[in-house]
Amino acid sequence: MADEAIFDKKKSHRAKHAGRKAEKKKKKNQVDQSNLSARQRNPKAFAINSAVRAERQFRRREDVISKKQHIPLVDKTPLEPPPIVVAVVGPPRVGKTTVINNLIKSFVKTNVTSTNGPITIVTSKKRRLTLIECNNDVNSMIDIAKCADLVLLLCDASFGFEMEIFEFLNICQVHGMPKIMGVLTHLDMIKNAKKLKMTKKTLKHRFWTEVYPGAKLFYLSGIIHGEYLRNEIKNLSRFISVMKFRPLSWRMTHAYILADRLEDITSQDSIRKDPKINRDVVLYGYVRGVPLMKDSMVHLAGVGDMKISELSYLPDPCPLPSSEKKRHLMERERQIYAPFSGVGGIVYDKDAVYIELKGSHSHKQEDEETNEKQALLKSVVETTETVDEQMQESGFRLFSGGTVIYPDMVKDDKDLQNRESQNNESSSDESDSGDENDSDNDSGIDQSEKDTTGKSSKLPWDNNSESDEDDEDDEDDGNDEAKNLQVDKLYSHENDSDEIDEEHKSSDAEDFSIKWKEKLGEKASLAYFERQKTSKNIMKLVYGEFEIGNKRKEDEDGNRDEESDEEEIGGLFKKVTSSQKRKQADKEQLDLEECSYFYNRNKPHLRDWTTEENKKLIINCFVTGKRGADEDAEELLKLDDASDGEDEVYGDFEDLETGEKHISKQQPEDKTEEVGSKRKAEPTKSDILDKKLKLKAKFDAEYDNPDDHRIKGDHSYYESLKAEALKQSQLNKSVFENLDNGLRVEVEGFRPGLYVRMLFKNMPSEFVTNFDSSYPLLIGALNMAEQNIGFVSCKVKKHRWYKKILKTNDPLIISLGWRRFQTLPIYSKIEDDLKCRYLKYTPEHVTCNMHFYGPITPQNTGFLALQTVNNNSNEIKQLGFRIAATGSVNEINKSTQIMKKLKLVGTPLKIYKKTAFIKDMFTSTLEVAKFEGAKVKTVSGIRGQIKKALNKPEGAFRATFEDKILMSDVIFCRTWFKVDVSKFYAPVVNLLLPIGAKNAWQGMKTKGQLKRERNIKVEANTDSMYTDIVREPKVFKPLVIPKELQKGLPYKLKPKEKTSTLTKKNIKEKLSNRVAVIKSPHEQKVANVMKMLKTNFEKKREVQKASTAERLKKFKKQQEEEEWRKIKRQKELKKKICRHLSKISNKKQTQM
Amino acid sequence: MPAILQNDVLVYKGSNLFRQRLLLATLSGRAIKIEEIRSSFDDPGLREYEVNLIRLLDKITNGSRVELSETGTSLYFQPGILIGGQVTHSCCTQRGIEVLLALGPFCKEPLNAVLQGVTHHELDVSVDKVKSAALPILLKFILVDDGLELKVVRRGAPPLGGGEIVFKCPVRRHLRPLQCSKWGMVKRIRGVVYALRVSPTMANRVVEAAKGVMLNFLPDVYINTDQCRGANAGKSPGFGVSLVAETTDKTFYCAEAKSAEVGSGEQTLPEDLGRECAHMLLDEVRRGGAVDSSFQWLLALWMALGQKDVSECVVGPLSDYTIKFLQHLKEFFGVMFKLEVLRSEDDESSDEEDKFAIAQKIKMTCVGIGYVNISKRTL
Repeated sequence: MADEAIFDKKKSHRAKHAGRKAEKKKKKNQVDQSNLSARQRNPKAFAINSAVRAERQFRRREDVISKKQHIPLVDKTPLEPPPIVVAVVGPPRVGKTTVINNLIKSFVKTNVTSTNGPITIVTSKKRRLTLIECNNDVNSMIDIAKCADLVLLLCDASFGFEMEIFEFLNICQVHGMPKIMGVLTHLDMIKNAKKLKMTKKTLKHRFWTEVYPGAKLFYLSGIIHGEYLRNEIKNLSRFISVMKFRPLSWRMTHAYILADRLEDITSQDSIRKDPKINRDVVLYGYVRGVPLMKDSMVHLAGVGDMKISELSYLPDPCPLPSSEKKRHLMERERQIYAPFSGVGGIVYDKDAVYIELKGSHSHKQEDEETNEKQALLKSVVETTETVDEQMQESGFRLFSGGTVIYPDMVKDDKDLQNRESQNNESSSDESDSGDENDSDNDSGIDQSEKDTTGKSSKLPWDNNSESDEDDEDDEDDGNDEAKNLQVDKLYSHENDSDEIDEEHKSSDAEDFSIKWKEKLGEKASLAYFERQKTSKNIMKLVYGEFEIGNKRKEDEDGNRDEESDEEEIGGLFKKVTSSQKRKQADKEQLDLEECSYFYNRNKPHLRDWTTEENKKLIINCFVTGKRGADEDAEELLKLDDASDGEDEVYGDFEDLETGEKHISKQQPEDKTEEVGSKRKAEPTKSDILDKKLKLKAKFDAEYDNPDDHRIKGDHSYYESLKAEALKQSQLNKSVFENLDNGLRVEVEGFRPGLYVRMLFKNMPSEFVTNFDSSYPLLIGALNMAEQNIGFVSCKVKKHRWYKKILKTNDPLIISLGWRRFQTLPIYSKIEDDLKCRYLKYTPEHVTCNMHFYGPITPQNTGFLALQTVNNNSNEIKQLGFRIAATGSVNEINKSTQIMKKLKLVGTPLKIYKKTAFIKDMFTSTLEVAKFEGAKVKTVSGIRGQIKKALNKPEGAFRATFEDKILMSDVIFCRTWFKVDVSKFYAPVVNLLLPIGAKNAWQGMKTKGQLKRERNIKVEANTDSMYTDIVREPKVFKPLVIPKELQKGLPYKLKPKEKTSTLTKKNIKEKLSNRVAVIKSPHEQKVANVMKMLKTNFEKKREVQKASTAERLKKFKKQQEEEEWRKIKRQKELKKKICRHLSKISNKKQTQM
Repeated sequence: MPAILQNDVLVYKGSNLFRQRLLLATLSGRAIKIEEIRSSFDDPGLREYEVNLIRLLDKITNGSRVELSETGTSLYFQPGILIGGQVTHSCCTQRGIEVLLALGPFCKEPLNAVLQGVTHHELDVSVDKVKSAALPILLKFILVDDGLELKVVRRGAPPLGGGEIVFKCPVRRHLRPLQCSKWGMVKRIRGVVYALRVSPTMANRVVEAAKGVMLNFLPDVYINTDQCRGANAGKSPGFGVSLVAETTDKTFYCAEAKSAEVGSGEQTLPEDLGRECAHMLLDEVRRGGAVDSSFQWLLALWMALGQKDVSECVVGPLSDYTIKFLQHLKEFFGVMFKLEVLRSEDDESSDEEDKFAIAQKIKMTCVGIGYVNISKRTL
């Protein structure tokens, strides 16, 4: 071993101290290596060795990058987003309610006894949750899937995934996949640790294949005292509160509301008179998705399409904490709001009051707020009618002894006044910004009245028109009366937070402001008001007349009632005359010719723009004119000069080529300054500094980034798209930010995050009487044209788990958009010529087309189809999987073109050479005439054409073929027959059903169902029955060779005689011709002997054969024995030898 | 005159703004009813050109229903789905048609319309103006120009017409939101003078006069003459001019003028015509804004029909027609614009004369309704 060590000894490395390498190293060590990237330290390692490989690398990198890119979407979440909807879904008895209770407890630290309907809680400074439980009904599952942002999919681990879970996942996939988290419960039921591990693993992988690989699956390992482990719930809640969401296309185009509160405001009296009377129902909830427009149609899932008759926003019942800088939520801010389950802060609005007892400790601390609340509460509780009604009834007296004025009348006047001003304004020139004074004495009075109504009754339209009224206040400053009254009205009643709004307040108090404005001399604020006024005025110019126009109907009803009052008021308001004036003006407008030019037909006298003073006005609109400071090249140049300091690059210089001298021009600059208005001329120091900084940043960006030297793909297009989307979303958020709320709602709609109140009139009474809060109340807004009904064409695929195939015209329940409805679909297939060919059944495993009559929905919207939404357990068991098909919308139309293939069959009547008369295809000459020129075909493939109808057998025609056809041929004519889609559309109205039977909606039944129920059987077509086929043997005609041909044939082939033409008669003839042979006695004897000999010989041979066989057998046996003996002997010999050998070997071993 | 809503049917009175109402009804899919059409006139009921417009709408839609009362004074219109495709229509010689422009992007198939009739009219926007001022606006909304085209095959002056144009428009699923608050400065002026069945010198005289005015402001002025002969010149004589001012930000202002009709007995001097048109263009330039004043409504429509995003545009003073249109937009679509008067930064604006000079600019802001082209087919 020692020797080897000596041989292994290697020479130690001796670093070079001189020469090329040493120099290199020295140079390298001069630079500090520690903060250099690998690329900079060792550039050679990153150099391109092979162009091909570099290209491949580059390509791969680009592929990876582009795979990561998504189309940039405009982020539409508002500043204060609505609560996130967390739905807890799962089959019955998996512990959904327990999970909700535990989550609430962990977030809000309160115990909730009953969980019913949506529960909104504040979880963090920026996030609220709405928890909702999904019951075991397909209808609810569908509605929940349409509105949930996050789904907790509960599963009993001891049982495994049930069909409901897969169904729910499928529903989600169709309507836009929300975030999904799986939760395994009942893990303590599995005692065996190994089995538990296995179950977890298999369930996890099954879950991953359904959702996406790596989807989060929670394990709730057991229940202690009816609660899950605190740690696990804490974890779950953490995951929930950091979850991020991606916008879903349907919800980014539609507003929706998950109603969390319902009130029936129909008067008790009318209900008592007729319990089935249509109800006026108020629903409450947070707006989600996109802004909700005021007069849009909505669909109430499970009820039908509705029009919101009144929409207003309310203060948030469960507000996010104020934006103070704090780390944690205060105890007080951890709010919970759940009217259906009887918890939530005290909330009072128009219709009702909510009181909530917040846990046990909330009673102790009675702060100001609660005191105030209680006081208010007392006053509200005592009232018996809604505030609406109160307002309507509360009269108002201006002067002692004057008439009592009701709000209805006031509205009328307001309408009138706006109209008046509108007319004035529209008639005046464009340049005046609508600063008229309504110099009528009475104008001030009726305004003040308006204001009182506006403030005290928080009707939504008043809310909105508030700003409008304020303008009017601004306009008539000189009216003392108005002022005095305004003082009263301003502070007569509590007002909402809007008033605190800075600009609002200021414009409100415009009258007073004049004084302090003067005092403070704030020019800026003056300008601000000025601007405010004009901008409002222009809106009033356009929409002023309109805002009340909405209420026109009601007003007109009111008008009729107050016919008598009007006379009285007439004296004061001069109503009659003004309304006449308005009518006059309207009439003038009524039948004018429309013209989109700025000046209508009456062309004004145009200014002569060529005159000097007029010219000055517009000279700056041309490129030759003066520009803004940041655009003007000269200014920019000057800026550059200044920043460059002394070196005058753009100063005087001489162009050497032309010999032209450029002198920095001072004179023209001065001239332009004279002409144009004054602009910033001298670049200030800060400008220069800015510019320098900008340049430096640019330089830094270019040179500091070492990766810039690598070859990079061009992602500028994607980047620009992204930037555009970002810019748009910022604009969306910022544009209306400082608009007052009433106007903002008008312009933008009710933005998501607002808590709104919706009044629906004429709802079916069953909706209220059969109301069950465990069913979600989803209110989805419908966009333009979506309330209409038309023919929808879509592509559809039968679900692979659904057991049956679907039949055309069998009723099908479709969940599309917000709606669920039953309709009669027709399946079809698009042929190569884009014709829709009717199919009787859906094909398996491929998509086909489907047409149905239903609501118009944008293209690419997903839908799913069910055959029944009934929760009959037998039926479910029979079906297994309830989702029959899924698909998406292709096209909308008002008519359909589905063609069914139709084969007309006819038989020949008479055949000429290539012409034939065909019968039985048509029944009349007219029909034939329609099909003249159509192609026909025989079964054997001979093609032809229909020529003309025949007279005699009605419906027969003449046709020509490419060859002679046979009488036995059947002639086909292939045609297409248009199939109409039946106009049947029935929304699923499961919310109207009685409480126990909400999951038992039954629409139209299929024909098969009806037949089964009534035990109707179809008569079998005897033609289709199987019978034994009896085939007669075919008799062919004999071959006849023409005589001419026979002549030419060689003798051998010539038919010799007429043997071939055999008939029975001939055979007899032939036999009769034959001669019988009779032998002589000698011959007979000889023959006899011969026969005997032959027999003898044969017998002998037989015996011989038998003996030979026996002998052979014997011999074989003997040989076998011999062989056997031989083998035996050999075996023995082998044995002997072996024994001997082994003996020898044994001996040898012992020696060893 | 706001509409009265009777179970989801908008009821209007009078024949004014007939075109607007039909157009918006078609786009929104809402049924309308128009009553008292010229009921107090000697010749009550719809005019021929209005019936003609209904015919055209019927051609490009599927499933529209029109019911006219016996006297023709009331009309019920229930729109169908826009189809588009190949359309040939002979328009009435009384009035022109701009409706197709607004409907074009929302058809099922790309629109390819051949329209025959009057190409230049006193009250309506002429083809030249549409081509030069309206198409660039549409282009801003659809961004990619694949087949947006307006071709003047033949010109036709009133009263007999005889002109023919081909309008092609691509279809879009939705329009993009538009922000434009700058319009730049006028950098060039172009124009076309057409002379139909009149002496070519007329055209040259018009050019000279118009150019004379415009050269005061800008050196870059080119005005073409379009002297039509034979069949291309339509059926009746006339001449006219249209001037286009292009700004540095690709905004186009257009003004036009035409000679008096043949039968009217008035005489129009070419010089006067040229000068008048030039002054009108200058007036238009003064008004400024991101669009020509006669296409403000088109801009408003497309802004309102955009995606659910904010669009904002600065336009010159609103014309009466635009105001009416905005009211209609509110009724049909529920869109309300935020309108602000924009003040220039100059402090001198309080000065009386200056105030008049720098015309009032209005910033229109709105959130699109998220209108999607429901008739387009996806495969």
